[in-house]
Amino acid sequence: MTSKMKQAGLALAMTGALSSVALTARAEEEVQKGGTAVIHMISEQRILNPGLRASTGVYNITGKIMEPLIDKSYDGYEPVLATEWSGSEDGKTITLKLREGVNWHDGEPFTCDDVAFSAIELWKKLLNYSSALQANLESVDCPDPHTAVFNYSKPMPIELFVAAMPDLGHPVPKHLYEGTDILKNEYNTAPVGTGPFKFVEYQRGQYVLAEKNEDYWREGFPYLDRIVWRFIKDKSAAAAALEAGEVQESGFIGVSMADVDRFSKDDQFDVGTMGYENNVAHSTVEFNHRNPIMADLKVRQAMYHGLDIDYAIQTIMHGFAKPGRGPVPSAGGINYTDDVPTYDYDPELAKKLLDEAGYPVKDDGYRFHLRHRPAPWGEYTQLWAEYYAQAMKEIGIDVEILTNDAPGFLNGVYRDHDFDTANGWHQFRSDPAVSTMVWLRSGQPEGTPWTNQFGWKSDEIDTMIDEAASELDVEKRAAMYHEIQAKAMEELPVFFAIEHPFISVTSKKLHNHHNTPRWNSSSWYDLWIEH
Amino acid sequence: MTLRMPPILTYALRRLVQAIPVVILIMIGTFLLLKLAPGDTVDALVGDMGGADAAFIARLRAEYGLDQPIWVQLWRYMTKLATFDFGWSFVYEQPVSTVLMERLGTTLLLMAASLSIAFTAGIALGAIAARRAYSATDNLISVLGLVFYATPSFFLSLMLMLVFSVKLGWLPVGGIKTIAAFYTGWDHVWDVARHLIMPTAALSLIYLAFYLRLMRASVMEVADLDYVRTARAKGAKEGRLMIHHIMRNALLPVVTLLGLQFSTVLGGSIVVETIFTLPGLGQLAYQSVVQRDMNTLMGIIFLCAIIVVVVNFLTDLLYARLDSRIELA
Amino acid sequence: MTLADAQIAPPEPPRYVMFWRRYKRNRAALLGLVLFAVVVLMALSAGFIDPGDPLRRAGAPLTPPFVNWETPLGTDQLGRDVLSGVFYGARISLLIGVVATLVAIVIGVVIGALAGYFGGWVDDVLMRVTEAFQTIPNFVLLLALVAIMGSKIEWITLAIGIVSWTAPARMVRAEFMSLRGREFVDAARNLGVSNTSIIFREILPNALPPIVVYASVIMALSILMESALAFLALGDPNYASWGNMIGQGRAVLRSAPYCAVIPGIAIILTVLSFSLLGEGLNDALNPRQKK
Repeated sequence: MTSKMKQAGLALAMTGALSSVALTARAEEEVQKGGTAVIHMISEQRILNPGLRASTGVYNITGKIMEPLIDKSYDGYEPVLATEWSGSEDGKTITLKLREGVNWHDGEPFTCDDVAFSAIELWKKLLNYSSALQANLESVDCPDPHTAVFNYSKPMPIELFVAAMPDLGHPVPKHLYEGTDILKNEYNTAPVGTGPFKFVEYQRGQYVLAEKNEDYWREGFPYLDRIVWRFIKDKSAAAAALEAGEVQESGFIGVSMADVDRFSKDDQFDVGTMGYENNVAHSTVEFNHRNPIMADLKVRQAMYHGLDIDYAIQTIMHGFAKPGRGPVPSAGGINYTDDVPTYDYDPELAKKLLDEAGYPVKDDGYRFHLRHRPAPWGEYTQLWAEYYAQAMKEIGIDVEILTNDAPGFLNGVYRDHDFDTANGWHQFRSDPAVSTMVWLRSGQPEGTPWTNQFGWKSDEIDTMIDEAASELDVEKRAAMYHEIQAKAMEELPVFFAIEHPFISVTSKKLHNHHNTPRWNSSSWYDLWIEH
Repeated sequence: MTLRMPPILTYALRRLVQAIPVVILIMIGTFLLLKLAPGDTVDALVGDMGGADAAFIARLRAEYGLDQPIWVQLWRYMTKLATFDFGWSFVYEQPVSTVLMERLGTTLLLMAASLSIAFTAGIALGAIAARRAYSATDNLISVLGLVFYATPSFFLSLMLMLVFSVKLGWLPVGGIKTIAAFYTGWDHVWDVARHLIMPTAALSLIYLAFYLRLMRASVMEVADLDYVRTARAKGAKEGRLMIHHIMRNALLPVVTLLGLQFSTVLGGSIVVETIFTLPGLGQLAYQSVVQRDMNTLMGIIFLCAIIVVVVNFLTDLLYARLDSRIELA
Repeated sequence: MTLADAQIAPPEPPRYVMFWRRYKRNRAALLGLVLFAVVVLMALSAGFIDPGDPLRRAGAPLTPPFVNWETPLGTDQLGRDVLSGVFYGARISLLIGVVATLVAIVIGVVIGALAGYFGGWVDDVLMRVTEAFQTIPNFVLLLALVAIMGSKIEWITLAIGIVSWTAPARMVRAEFMSLRGREFVDAARNLGVSNTSIIFREILPNALPPIVVYASVIMALSILMESALAFLALGDPNYASWGNMIGQGRAVLRSAPYCAVIPGIAIILTVLSFSLLGEGLNDALNPRQKK
């Protein structure tokens, strides 16, 4: 990449266009086969079974070993273990054609029995997020070894089914799971799949190693001999490992934002947001509406005016972010609108609003005191909390930050509701219905993390959310989400203050990287490394 | 001094019997203490997963027995422990004994290396400093030792990494071995040694000062004693005097410290292990607290108790060997 | 001292003069004293000579040192003044050091004194408890306590004190065991003085010198422990502490190293000063080692 292009890319990112500097044309380069790619993982998911744990941390590793029925590419949905799919008129049956000639890594053939077993025993019963999705699944029939028929008691829109499959549609080998205690099955930590790489070993706290599957169904693939995922918790140590060439890729902002910025100016690395189209997040400020001060809309509006979002984006996120516009991020496609009320940085207006709301500055120099719980997700989340406290002090609100570890934080906010404000970041998962709406919809089960546990309730928004969820017309549905977005920006139950994508730092030695919308979770059959 | 078997056995047995109530006290205390912390391992797991629905969470909690009253959980744990069953780690999805054994080697290697370097370098430098007490050499050694001791371990570790891995490229950034290099034999030993250089250096530089200061004080005190003066008056050479007369007695308090420091170093290695991504018990302990992985943490504490009992026993033996006045009884 | 003795021996200088003479013989200890004085001055003057709240935005983020005289040592990621942080940090670090040490010494003295004075089953029970505390790696215990109580600075300080009392307890116990058989104790007992009085009025003052020396070690360790907690993101962000400054500065270690290095040097010098101070006290209070 020329330095000009890089600068241009960076400038775009700085202006908030979230452009990637990673994707460049390298068509003529000759593929080199073999070699080992070493990947940095910031967190360690100890269960390596995507049929049991729905989490990007699990897919990042197991996506290479176990394959989903359907994956996503920049051109739409891509057949993997399922080659064709169709739904019935009444929406109650979905029929899949399965790929023939595919073997599990232990040599057994992959058939419809595996799919039926996985769907009923794992996806419906045990898999987080999926158990709600598959609640109405009654049975899976196998008319022949390569046809699977999903029977539902209520209509299941084929679009929703297909959209869910890349994440929630990983079959496990029935012959290794049947008749065992599935949760304690030894293959949960030593996965057997159909993917381009075979699991070799998992050293807890150190690494996972996988090697080339010689028998892979895509002829001539994969290119790499081996993949190693190294667990490095400390972001500075991870940056050092990248620089020393010991690691070639670090995803999901695995190094500090300052280092992301530094690497983006380094010729040896591609830094970009490509491949995270499904994974955009909001840095938030959340309120406990049980506190009458927090329940006052005027106070929340004043607080929004007290936050210099652009400053926070430049300093904390080093420009790799943009101001949030409600529960749907700009990456949300058709469902996104920026035609919503906004709150410019204006501390004087903030003070005025607080005075009007009946909270003048008292003798101790403050209007009121808040207890704030920051999510302990490290670096930029912590800085955001401290910036928030700093900014609130300027408008006369004293914010005391209560630091806790993860269980303490989740418990304090979502079960005990022992906070006035909180902050964290929250992921948008390609569709508002399955992600950010849980922040606004009341009646979420008590104690469930990352749902509306704030004591905020609006019958109007509840109705709007429910109607949008059952609307089948795409245009109408989008319009409904625009309306919800505007309403959310007006009522401010939560500040979706900063929209930030995830960022990968990748060595230029890797090729064909970040070429699908969920690249870090995909199978990497075409990834190769210069050596 | 000759050590006959029977006294040593009775002594060992007596120490063991004394240790049992301490260990039980520790285990119950730790269990109850960690139960006071907000949230449980299911919260931690769900947090790691990026969320889950309410039914999933409730099922997990029942599965792990976390829906039971604390006394029931404690009783279950202690009865299992009585048969040396450490239980199952819900975080690692492995038996706790497996989790611990995987980490024990690394930790023992790191601690043995750091403590022996700190110990040897400490007593050597301490002896030199004491023989030239209040000279420029003494001041230099003392202050330098204290500077390392005063440096926060993570600061020292990050600086080492910056210099030797990033700038000079001599040493690997972290881990215990080069993954996927499949070294065997001496190549493997050399590979592991290279990975351990920086963490060992960081830990031993920090603990060096303890031994250095103690040795210095101890040598100065012993050197003043009558029998040393007598030996010197009789014309004993300085080197011989040092080794035969002073060292032997000056080492006593230093050896005691070695025994006491074992669990301190394990705590101190948490940060170093985290930075150098060494898969040791220190890092595991930290993770277990943060993840509320009760069984694993209890296993570590139990292991610590055993190690401390063994190390104390060994220091007693060493002590007896150094000081002929002490009889084991 | 009888009149006759006084006539024979040259008049002995007052105790503090003796103390000072012994202390200043150790030049490193003098350096420690100077450093310590500087830290105390910084802690006391925080807020007087440097500009206000160390957590507020004082300038453009990541201004390097010596560029803008408003913020002579530069600013961190959120534009907070590093110099101001160093001054206020001195206050917090000293506070943590002193209070945690007091907590540790008080617990240690009470337990050690009871065990050493009474002996028997009291000693047995208390020593088993002490051993139990010593067996658990103290930093692991500290993490557990902070997990339970949260990261408020008061709790962190208390927790550091709680994990540090075992060594002073053992020292006090040893001193008491050797002192309890002395004549002056017997004399007091014969006069019907209560146990409490004997422990705190008669024996304790004599047992204190080694504890005072050891206090400097606990103080040094407390500051290091707080910084290690901050490194693991378990510090209290409501105060500018050196540990917090390094903990956050490490994210910009490569692009703006001064953010971590300046408070790092402050910690090193402060801990160094405590240690050297301890050395000097040891020489001054323990006249057996003379040269």
